[in-house]
Amino acid sequence: MCSACEKDDICLSPTTPKLILRFYDTAIPTEFKNVSNLSIWAEGKDTLATFKNVSLDSVYLPLNTNAVQTVYNFKTSATGNIADNKYNKITINYTTEEIFVSRSCGLKSIYHSVTIASDNGWFQSFTPNSLTTIDNETSAHVKIYH
Amino acid sequence: MLKYIISFLVLIVSFSGLSQAKDTVAYTSPYGLRLGIDISKPIMGMIDSNSSGIEFVADYRISKNWYVAAELGNQKERTVEDYTTSTSKGNFIKVGLNYNAYQNWLDMNNEVYVGFRYGTSIFDQTLDSYKINTGNDYFVSNTSTTPVTTTDLNAHWTEFVLGIKVETFKNLYLGFSFNYKIMLSLKHPNNFKTLYVPGFNRVFDTETGFGFNYTISYTIPFVNK
Repeated sequence: MCSACEKDDICLSPTTPKLILRFYDTAIPTEFKNVSNLSIWAEGKDTLATFKNVSLDSVYLPLNTNAVQTVYNFKTSATGNIADNKYNKITINYTTEEIFVSRSCGLKSIYHSVTIASDNGWFQSFTPNSLTTIDNETSAHVKIYH
Repeated sequence: MLKYIISFLVLIVSFSGLSQAKDTVAYTSPYGLRLGIDISKPIMGMIDSNSSGIEFVADYRISKNWYVAAELGNQKERTVEDYTTSTSKGNFIKVGLNYNAYQNWLDMNNEVYVGFRYGTSIFDQTLDSYKINTGNDYFVSNTSTTPVTTTDLNAHWTEFVLGIKVETFKNLYLGFSFNYKIMLSLKHPNNFKTLYVPGFNRVFDTETGFGFNYTISYTIPFVNK
């Protein structure tokens, strides 16, 4: 009885998926490689609270569901000094589809015809540059080599 | 102690003797059509701006303890959730039987009953507004306020009813009943869900529901038996 109430009243189902990026080593393409002093922000917005001067090999980025394009900036610094800052920008284009989830979760968006372009800053390469659909967060969507 | 038990038994025997003697006096009770209204719905409508509706109740006594019973009404209800606001609107009817399990004293006509109903509703549901659940507050979704109405939705369900009725003045009854509902079939709008059904009330995740009513009803007596 109570499990039924909880399922109804609290949103526990997956909702709009985020774009998951995984960073790999260009020299050894099977190895994850941390990005040091990484900060990420969408064009024209503040830095994401979870990705502010962090060292990680995996990030998840929300896409703007009100638009068909989201642009993200990635800043890294090997030493932490401003002089060593390196930048890379990626542009993600997509279409959205709205799907009903449940009473408490409402509707989510999933993304179709996703294309990704990079301005080739500190990203050596990435794969793939297009995805048919992003509808889950079970694994990384894009591998980035640096 | 034994003395008390004996005197108590004697008392019972003498009472049963008395009642046997009085058995010749037969009390009659009315058989007829009882019509009423659920007063909780207009009151709910006054205190909750998201709710408005009306329900008429009727029953007809077919034997000493059995009544054919029905409820009929319409309801409009706005359901406000975190990401959606929707409105259900439509008519419902429920028919079934009540069994009066209460043994009345003398000429009293009160009821404590259990019942069963089949219920059905035809209704519309409008998704008044929604915003996409983005799962983050970095990009918050715009709210879409274009209403999307799905017409001719329907539902079929069963109900178990527990209730009481008390005769306050001659032939005038006050009643309260509680019911538990199990959905048999329910139509959902495309890419959304039926969250509320008139007569069924909120549709819980397990496709069950609850309801109650407070009624005032009047019996039009046909015969006294």
